[in-house]
Amino acid sequence: MGFISDADKETLRDHFADSLTGDVEIVMFTERDSPIIIPGKQPCETCTPTQELLEEVAALSDKLKLTVHEISAAKEQAFALGINRVPAFLFEGAARGRVRFFGIPSGYEFSALIADLVDVSSGATDLSEETREYLSTLTEDVNIKVFTTPN
Amino acid sequence: MAVESEHVTADVIEAMEFPELSRRYGVRGVPKIVINETIEFVGALPESQYLAHVREAVEANGKNTM
Repeated sequence: MGFISDADKETLRDHFADSLTGDVEIVMFTERDSPIIIPGKQPCETCTPTQELLEEVAALSDKLKLTVHEISAAKEQAFALGINRVPAFLFEGAARGRVRFFGIPSGYEFSALIADLVDVSSGATDLSEETREYLSTLTEDVNIKVFTTPN
Repeated sequence: MAVESEHVTADVIEAMEFPELSRRYGVRGVPKIVINETIEFVGALPESQYLAHVREAVEANGKNTM
């Protein structure tokens, strides 16, 4: 039993076929389940479900590819990408900036994930001309954090 | 916005999975948006108001030429 129903998979497959223009790599950082209990360290309860959900999404289009890194084995890469907690993933595609997700993308975040995949695929958004013009003048870095919950 | 500008990084954070971050940023309602650690607001805003907050954050940093 997967996360996405067969009906939703069909809808998403059609949506991706219509909307994805370029390839997108979903780069995920995770933590393997450890048989050892380390005092003070919480196991990552959402790492495996997040990976399974992303595998289901990536399987819905030839333009999507999922790469999974164990964070302890890819520390330098994670650091360079600003990933310091798991589960986390980001997209490599036609976006100029970077979109990172921390935590399992369920509920509201799932819609954001699908919309972002489409935008990163094309490198284009439906933002207004005023917004795009302003963004093109930015010379310094801007970080936007969006806190959400599944419902 | 992160798709449009190389200078923008957008982080989508599941608040309940990362309680220490939620505490640090005082998350009591969602969606909560924090821009450059300085400007914050709760709720989905029309794009023009959202942009105004981004401008405000950039200007507060005194870093942008605009």
